[in-house]
This record gives sequence, C-alpha cells and structure tokens, in this order.
Amino acid sequence: MTIRHHPSDESLVRLAAGALGAGPALVVSVHLQGCAVCRDRLARFEAVGGALLEEMSPAALAPDLFGRTLERLDVDPPEPAPRPVANVKRWPALGIELPSAMRGCEIGPWRWLGPGFRWSKVKIEGSPDAKVMLLKGKAGLHLPGHGHTGLEFNQILSGSLSDERGHYFPGDLDEADDEVDHRPVVAGQTDCVCLAAVEGDTRLHGILGRLLRPLVGF
Amino acid sequence: MNEVRQEETPPSPEELILLLEAVARGQDHKAFAQLFAHFAPRVKSFLRRSGLADGVAEEVTQEVMIAVWRKASYFDPRRAGAATWVFTIARNQRIDRLRRLRSAAGEELPDPSEQPDAPPSGEDIALAAEREEQVRKALATLPAEQAAILKLSFFADKPHAEIARELGIPLGTAKSRVRLALARLRAMLDRDL
Ligand SMILES: [Zn+2]
Repeated sequence: MTIRHHPSDESLVRLAAGALGAGPALVVSVHLQGCAVCRDRLARFEAVGGALLEEMSPAALAPDLFGRTLERLDVDPPEPAPRPVANVKRWPALGIELPSAMRGCEIGPWRWLGPGFRWSKVKIEGSPDAKVMLLKGKAGLHLPGHGHTGLEFNQILSGSLSDERGHYFPGDLDEADDEVDHRPVVAGQTDCVCLAAVEGDTRLHGILGRLLRPLVGF
Repeated sequence: MNEVRQEETPPSPEELILLLEAVARGQDHKAFAQLFAHFAPRVKSFLRRSGLADGVAEEVTQEVMIAVWRKASYFDPRRAGAATWVFTIARNQRIDRLRRLRSAAGEELPDPSEQPDAPPSGEDIALAAEREEQVRKALATLPAEQAAILKLSFFADKPHAEIARELGIPLGTAKSRVRLALARLRAMLDRDL
C-alpha cells in the first residue's frame, strides 16, 4: 500500500520538538505507525533536536544538584510498574479495529451527526482539552463544503475519501490549514472511518456544528 | 563523590555513546558524572528556552538525568545518537510535566521512549550515525537566518509569532520563511540519501 498523503515538515518538526498538541500528536502517531517514510523524517528532525541540544549554551545549575541526583539514583525504584496494555472496557463496540497507537485513549460510542454521518469522542489520558474524534461516513456521503479555522489533521483508518485536491486511502493523512476549502465525498463502496484532530480554540461542538450545519440546512 | 566538575572539552558523539553504554552495563557512577556534566546544563538550557521557569527547569533536568540513568539500557545507538536520545527524554519529560501541571490528578503518564520498537537491522547502525552527522553538517551550512528560524520553530511555544517578532516581519511572512527554511533543510538532507 503506497501512502500518498503525509503530515507536513512543520508538523513533524513540532512533534519532534514536543510542541504539537496532544490531539494532532495522536493522529500523526497513528500515521507514523503505518508510514516508514515519515518515521525516517521524524528521526531526522529528532536528530536536529539532538544537534541543537549539543549547541545550547550550558545553563548554571544549583551546586548541589548533582549530589541530590546521585542520592536519588539508587533510592527510587529502577523500573516503573508495568502499565496495563489496553483498557478494552473503555472501547465500545465500534465495529472497527483501532490502531494500537490509540491505546490509552478513551473512545465514546458512535453518535449521530447527520444523515449517514457519525462521530465518536476520543479522550486522551492527561489531555482532557484535546479535540480529537472518530468520524464515520456512509459510502456515497457528500460532506458539505467547509473551510478550516486552524490546522486539521485527518488520518484515514478505513474506506476512502475524495475531494478537489485528491483521493485519500487508509494510511493517508490529510493536513488542512485555513487556506483549504473543500467538499469531501466518501468514495468507494464502503464506509469511511477517520481519526481527526483540530488545533485552535474552537470548541469541539463548534467544529461538529460547522460540519453539521449545512447538512441539516441551517 | 558528589561533586561534578565542569567539563573542559565536551565528549565526542562516540564517547557519549560509550558513557551511556557504561551506565547501562555497570551502573557506572563515574560515567554518569560525565554525562551529567555534559547534558544537565544543556537540558536545563533547552527547558528554559522552551518556556519553563528556572526552578521547574532544574527539577525537570533532575528527572531527565535520573531517566538517563534508569533507561540507559533502552538506549540503542543503532536508532539515534546520545544527544538525540537525551533530547527525546527531555522533550517527553517536559510534555509530561506540562500535562501534570494542568491535570489535578498528577498521575504518571506513559513515556513513549519506553516503548520498544522493532529490532533494528545491521544496516541501521551505520545509518543512525550517518544521519546524525548529516544533520550536524546541514545545520552548520544553513544560512544564519534560516538556522535561527529552525531553532525558533523547535524551541518556541508560538514559533510563528516569535519569529515574526524577532525578525521584525509580518506573521504571514514568518510562516512562509519557516516553510522555506524547512524545505532547505530537507533538500540538504535528501541530497545525501
Ligand atoms: Zn507518511
């Protein structure tokens, strides 16, 4: 399977630097799981981080910091307690298999968003404000034309989408900024499920509302 | 031994790898002292640069160095150089600290650096070292303004705004300069593939 749509250099730099929000970081991580090209790009940007760390002018440390650190080396437990691998109970029967990069997320049930269109809230541990959702559209669904207020990340998990800019298949990540105005269609014979995250201050319901409004005609 | 002397000449990338391996193998305090002297002041500098207050930056630096000690056996020179590995630990500890500051629970969150990946092939050994060398060279040859933009994109909280302010250019221009700088870097890195 050839992946044709990848996150931008900027987003990978931000992920490497630890500056990408938890929601977009999750979507990009799902992409990375399936994309060796982007894993290699990320490794390069992390190497940039390593090189920049080497170039940092050393900061002054408290004189006793090393001593205090030594004291803690052998005192604290050397290994963190093993974590539960996945809390399956929090994953309702969505009818799809989710990528393992999403373990640790709490997934809500499918909710109605419009005719042939459903969504489910994805909660990321430790980041309650992240705006992440699963979206599911029936084959043939025409989404209303819409713009974007901030960056939106959309990773195709199953099925396919098309818009004016191209076709998106499983493994593809579409990154759309405020310059993108599009009219996606669920292509092919099967439902399309994607994982989407939005950056910026818009509330989740505002985003869903923006998608929904033209569908129900107000 | 609880004094750490300031390093005179920074260790080479190869020496840093040997020091990490010594810690992984034998819980070597002397090797750790050298790693501490080299990395702790730089990690703190990075944390300060990316917005943590002095006291918090120092606390997180301590956590990072303790993680270096404990996770040294996870370090794999076939994947990344020593500085890159320490950088990713510092980055993850910073994210973790910011999340804990925001959430009342203060729970421990999974650290991605603990997750084992597929074992690397023999080729990867040379590749990782080559990649690091390539990146260092590219950074050294990048024009000064683009290097500055790259640094800000890496360490600033709101990179576009800070780049605009520091270079005295409009926000939209800052965005396109970031794109240009990254395209330049990418061209340099791809050329050597
Ligand atoms: Zn990719």
